[in-house]
Amino acid sequence: MIIDKVHKTLRVIQENGGWLNSLLKLYRYDTLKSGRLVGTDDYGNRYYENKEYFMGRDRWVEYADKVRLDYDGSQIPAEWYGWMHHKTDIPPTLRPPPKYKWLAQHTENMTGTSRQYVPYDTVPPKIQPWIPGKK
Amino acid sequence: MLRRGVSSSLRNALQVQKRSAASAPEKIEVFIDDQSVMVEPGTTVLQAAAMVGIEIPRFCYHERLSVAGNCRMCLVEVEKSPKPVAACAMPVMKGWRIKTNSPLTKKAREGVMEFLLTNHPLDCPICDQGGECDLQDQSMAFGSDRSRFTDVNYTGKRAVEDKDLGPLVKTVMTRCIQCTRCVRFASEIAGIPTLGSTGRGQEMQIGTYVEKMFLSELSGNVIDLCPVGALTSKPYTFTARPWETRKTESIDVLDAVGSNIVVSTRAGDVMRVIPKNNDDVNEEWISDKARFSYDGLKRQRLTTPMVRKNGELEACDWQEALMVVANKIATTPGDRMAALVGGLSDAETLTALKDLMNHLECETLCTEEKFPMDGAGTDLRSNYLLNSRLTGVEEADLVLIIGCNPRFESPVFNARIRKSWIANELDVAVIGPKVDLTYTYDHLGDSPKTIADLASGNHEFSQRLKTAKRPMIIVGSEALQREDGGAIYSAAHKLALSLQNTTEDWKVFNVLHRVAGQVAALDLGYRAGADEIAANKPALLYMLGADEAAVDRKDLQNCFIVYQGHHGDRGAEQADVILPGCAYTEKQATYVNTEGRTQQTFPAVTPPGLAREDWKIIRALSEFAGVGLPYDNIEELRGRMSEIAPNLVKYSVVEEANYFAQAGPLFGKLASALRSDEKLDTKLKGLEDFFMTDSISRASATMAKCVQAAMNEKKNRH
Amino acid sequence: MRFSGTIDYSTVVKPVMSTTMPEAKRRVMSLYKAWFRAIPTIMDKFDISVSEKDCRVKIREKFEMNRNVSDIRTIDLLVMKGQMELVETLRLFKTKSHVMAFFRDSVPEKPKDFLSKFLDGQ
Repeated sequence: MIIDKVHKTLRVIQENGGWLNSLLKLYRYDTLKSGRLVGTDDYGNRYYENKEYFMGRDRWVEYADKVRLDYDGSQIPAEWYGWMHHKTDIPPTLRPPPKYKWLAQHTENMTGTSRQYVPYDTVPPKIQPWIPGKK
Repeated sequence: MLRRGVSSSLRNALQVQKRSAASAPEKIEVFIDDQSVMVEPGTTVLQAAAMVGIEIPRFCYHERLSVAGNCRMCLVEVEKSPKPVAACAMPVMKGWRIKTNSPLTKKAREGVMEFLLTNHPLDCPICDQGGECDLQDQSMAFGSDRSRFTDVNYTGKRAVEDKDLGPLVKTVMTRCIQCTRCVRFASEIAGIPTLGSTGRGQEMQIGTYVEKMFLSELSGNVIDLCPVGALTSKPYTFTARPWETRKTESIDVLDAVGSNIVVSTRAGDVMRVIPKNNDDVNEEWISDKARFSYDGLKRQRLTTPMVRKNGELEACDWQEALMVVANKIATTPGDRMAALVGGLSDAETLTALKDLMNHLECETLCTEEKFPMDGAGTDLRSNYLLNSRLTGVEEADLVLIIGCNPRFESPVFNARIRKSWIANELDVAVIGPKVDLTYTYDHLGDSPKTIADLASGNHEFSQRLKTAKRPMIIVGSEALQREDGGAIYSAAHKLALSLQNTTEDWKVFNVLHRVAGQVAALDLGYRAGADEIAANKPALLYMLGADEAAVDRKDLQNCFIVYQGHHGDRGAEQADVILPGCAYTEKQATYVNTEGRTQQTFPAVTPPGLAREDWKIIRALSEFAGVGLPYDNIEELRGRMSEIAPNLVKYSVVEEANYFAQAGPLFGKLASALRSDEKLDTKLKGLEDFFMTDSISRASATMAKCVQAAMNEKKNRH
Repeated sequence: MRFSGTIDYSTVVKPVMSTTMPEAKRRVMSLYKAWFRAIPTIMDKFDISVSEKDCRVKIREKFEMNRNVSDIRTIDLLVMKGQMELVETLRLFKTKSHVMAFFRDSVPEKPKDFLSKFLDGQ
């Protein structure tokens, strides 16, 4: 039994690209999994699947390396969202979504950054003060 | 002397009694819903019913307009009369038994209502009259509980094209029920026969015949008169409902009449201004300036204290601004200081300012509006009041107007003159420019010499004046602004004195002011006119709402100017320190109108930004300046006010003033002789001059639109 | 009013709970301990941003405020009030702001004279 587990661990480490890479992934995701690479999106996120894991843990994403620890669920684009959440079993690599020229690029949630959305006041002020020198 | 006075007045009273006893016709008895009431002959059924507290529904009838009798809503049953009778137009006969609640009456009302509603759109949810609509209310009270109106042919209801009546009155003519109140108001009260009706029956329309705007200084009143939503206020369109506004009863300060108004506010915002009934002042009319200039209260406001640093006015806090002023006061001797107050100043602030300046040993306190200081000047109160009162014009039989245009200086008063001109055959004569006053008058030229001629009897009109029983001489405040104002004033006074009948309690001499704060300022002992300031060249000038540019900064070398007021206007531009105060809708303040009636405004909204009540600013400044005025609240301040001028705290009362005979001989030496070469002129000649006359109305966008419309209308060839 | 001789108030006035000073003292001490024991619960329930030590200091301070009270009936009354406060706190009749009100030393006084009222915006 124990030998089995050690064997499996060693295999996972191997599949993740050796000791150093495995440690790095552990550092980034706090977990180490092995699975089939289903596809990669335009932003560098890699999507994996392994049906041996329990439902809900069987599909996962490794975020693009450039975001380092600053990853976030909203970085998953819309076409992969459905597959990730088991809305569909067909990944966008097999059936790419229709492309329209009016379709905007996917953006992650900007809350908390300088590019966040701030609602503005649409009600005019009740009193317009006098500004010296202006008629 | 005293005894003679008493006995003569007693005789007068007896004569009046005798006269009334002889001429009073016998009263007749009628029964309204079996209640007996004694009425004068000629009383209408509707009035008789009102005497016993029964109100008959009506649309076209209005107390202050002529009777039209065309809406038929007031139909009532009269016993032994084959048909129901229109109560508003039918005079009662002896012994009539009137039934206001009988089945026939109810059926008649229901029928009238049904006909009105078949031709009235069902747009109450988007109608501005909703909530204060006579048709809405009366259809609830007197209408049928179901509709028989079915548009079987789908032809739609009657629809009428909307008319363009100008920037103030919005029309939705489909809603019109042809009560013709607006038509009667225009021709009877406003005196411009623009409105009228065309067609008959279903095709009847109210309109202007030709494409023309309904431009009058009183046009806004048709909005109140209209029982439905056909005529509504354009600036108020879709902004508020009557049940969501708070009403504050107040006083209008944009002219010297002091019209009573109701300020409707919602969420700290003035939504509209409507008139309040006061038979002694404005009846139930107000001028368009009073009604529509409220949007000026929201623009160009001074919201924070400012201090001039390096030539630029910069916002600061109260402590800093008051400190700067107090430092300046500390380094300036009293005789090098001066105060100049504008026309919108209230009595409380004037009292506080005068106390402060007098404490600092400064005596140069002036008003912007001039008034001759020759002779008794402003020492005698009767010298600067409209002594025969606003209502007096209804008893007068001849009015001589000298150098003013009452139509635009005080439109409500002019409407009263017109009312008397119609009802009492009042004769009017004018010395001044030939303008349209909405009634005919004898034009006696525009030379000031005419006044002297009239007094000496060298004028053809003087005989008419002499034979008049109750003449009124109204001197415009503007005529007294001239260099020879004193001479004009004394000539007019002399003329009035020669016409004064000593036995009767009738006052001939009247002054019509242009600004609301002037009488209170003169009551408190302010000097009229800014000449003294221009001559003294003070080092510190305190301007309290002085926006008429009576003193220019360029004329005063090195003068430190403090401006206290509510609008950024001509005064604020030249100031070194600005102290933001309150407009009349934001403070409790006392104003005295041109006839000497004390009235007060009440706060409807809070002052904007850091602005404070005006008298409090002066009170705070006094503490910074080390004087410390002895009042902390408005009651204490009014106590002080009553010490100076007791009439200022007797609200809605006109304090009698009568020293004409004594004032006459005091005109010994005049500052300047009558200049007959210079014609008497008034600034306000046409409607376009009327709308923007003070800092509030100058900031109003609605008033600017009115001026534009009036200018365009002059080009209209109709 | 004049009294003849001395009056033993303990016989005239009925005691509230305690009849003797040591008994009153015992009640005070038990309330004091109850408050101390409640500190972790209060901190947990109200999520207040003060340390346990601050709470202890504050409770002690509140008790010290009445150190000079010597009338047994008054002590009993104060104990009752303290007990009520404790129950109200632990049963969440209070909210966070009520608890933090214990730590507020003073409320800024409203301006009274004209000038400070004026500068304060009245």
